[in-house]
Amino acid sequence: MTNEELKSYIETNYTSLLTHNEAGKYDLLFEVDAVNLVTVCEKLKNDPELLFDYFCNLSGADTTEKFEAIYNLGSIKKKIRIDIKVVLPHENPVIDSVQTVWPAANWYEREMWELYGIHINNHDNLTRFLLHDEWDEGYPMRKDWDAPDFIRFPDL
Amino acid sequence: MGIIKKLPIYSEKIPGGGIVTTSVEQILNFAQAKSLWYLLFGTACCAIELMCTGASRYDFDRLGMIFRASPRQSDLIIAAGTITKKMAPRLRTLYDQMAEPRYVIAMGGCTIKGGPFYYDSYSVEKGIEHIIPVDVFIPGCPPRPESLLEGCLTLQKQIQQRKLADWQEK
Amino acid sequence: MTDLRTEEFDINMGPHHPSTHGVCRLLLTMDGEKVVKVVPYIGYLHRAIEKICENRTYAMCIPILDRFEYVTAMSCNYVFSLAAERLSGIEVPERAEYLRVIMLELNRIASHLIFFGTTAMDIGALTPFLYALREREYIMDLFEMTCGQRLTYNYIRVGGVSKDIPEKFIPQCKVTISTITEKVEEYKRLLNKNPIWKMRTIGIGKLDADLAIAYGVSGPILRASGIDYDLRRDDPYSIYDRFDFNIPVYHNGDVFDRYMLRLDEIQESCKIVAQALEGIEEGPIRAKVSPNFKPAAGETYTRIENSRG
Repeated sequence: MTNEELKSYIETNYTSLLTHNEAGKYDLLFEVDAVNLVTVCEKLKNDPELLFDYFCNLSGADTTEKFEAIYNLGSIKKKIRIDIKVVLPHENPVIDSVQTVWPAANWYEREMWELYGIHINNHDNLTRFLLHDEWDEGYPMRKDWDAPDFIRFPDL
Repeated sequence: MGIIKKLPIYSEKIPGGGIVTTSVEQILNFAQAKSLWYLLFGTACCAIELMCTGASRYDFDRLGMIFRASPRQSDLIIAAGTITKKMAPRLRTLYDQMAEPRYVIAMGGCTIKGGPFYYDSYSVEKGIEHIIPVDVFIPGCPPRPESLLEGCLTLQKQIQQRKLADWQEK
Repeated sequence: MTDLRTEEFDINMGPHHPSTHGVCRLLLTMDGEKVVKVVPYIGYLHRAIEKICENRTYAMCIPILDRFEYVTAMSCNYVFSLAAERLSGIEVPERAEYLRVIMLELNRIASHLIFFGTTAMDIGALTPFLYALREREYIMDLFEMTCGQRLTYNYIRVGGVSKDIPEKFIPQCKVTISTITEKVEEYKRLLNKNPIWKMRTIGIGKLDADLAIAYGVSGPILRASGIDYDLRRDDPYSIYDRFDFNIPVYHNGDVFDRYMLRLDEIQESCKIVAQALEGIEEGPIRAKVSPNFKPAAGETYTRIENSRG
């Protein structure tokens, strides 16, 4: 399945759930509402045409106005890949866990919670694992995070 | 090896020539410098170079350096690789577990002053000198095996220059 | 023996342990000599690389990414450059693509040799470690004559590679890969029939295909579990579609299969390098990219086949 076919397939079958985002280059990027995330993920995984059974990566991003969570999904049988983006507000970002769909998401979600402060609903083990035990300086990957020994490079 | 092979020629001519007189200081220092057993403590990139140094081409063993897995059996920590803030207390524990006399080699930029992570990393310890005392610093990112060998030779020289008075308990 | 009372007990392994190459703490629940449960604690080498890269320009990121994955630093350089090139549509010169493939595959061999040596060392055989690192030094020599570094190369840049290979690279590389292809047979002879090695690897650490996919396992471990999935063939990047190579797949998913698969992959990588050395032609090695380069706005997520998954 080429990217064009995949795009038209998703646009016809997931009309109200996934919207195409032009920012994505090379691979397709779709946006989804935070409330629909788990249902969409289950549908994508069990769709016989797509079979997104492989959870590649989950990354977070802070655009200073919003938080973004980007899910990179792959399908081993169909050899296709898409990205799904969830946009979250800057105050109290909350997202549902997808670890019931892909168990691999567990640690990525923990990491996102730890470094970005995005709370994960229905997560079974939301504990700190990257930062050291006495850490109390907030969420380091946020853009507004600062510390005395953190030196920002000038814009070049 | 040259001296040892020639030794019998001279010593056997002299009655009682099998005995060598030397100072206690010299023999203690010699014994210690030539059998530095190091603790396998590699955390990052430098650990791979440490492995290379221990392997076939560079052959660490010829300096009398053999790796030990336990801090109780080792004389030297080669702190190879970045020490993060999470790892720092563990490094201190390992150092405390070693028996005296103990030595530390800081291998690589990260252990000296944080290396490439100095400016803008929130989790890297900026140098190990304020965790444990360091005897020899080896710069490089990562240092070549040759510089590690050079660092170990420097440490051996340092040990051999120690005075007996330094051994006294304070 | 039936009335023998056994009790589970916990062992703390790490964060400093001779067989954790890298740092990771495992809380093991043991039943005799059998591990029944593992709770991993990681983050002892969390160096905030994402934050550092956010703070720097694109050219400044590449040396930091060397330290990110120091056993196969080339592929980390490559995946970053690939992402930047896809975003801004930079065309990489032909010779640079060949050089990249040669370096990536040589680095894959080096990484698999480290796997082979250290795994055997941890299982109790020191000889393979000395053998594997002896052969690895030949590859390090090749990297050193090209970019001056043994481990952190900073070689693959956005738009191409940093330096051209010296004249003696190609003949020396040919010798190296033919030596390694032979030596792999020797490794197999050394270990495959060794009863202790077999006892300690066959059936140990089994990971079946469904579990491997569910937990997002990738690379050689996924292929050792019986899934024929290699991004060099299934999502081709660079010029991998021009080369003829096999993708070894094993089906038991235990330590022995992973070891066999990696040894086979070394031989396949040697094949790719040999073909690339035949096909390489003179030409420019780098597209024009400014040092303060910033790609066009947009997002892209790239993935490549790394030797460690």
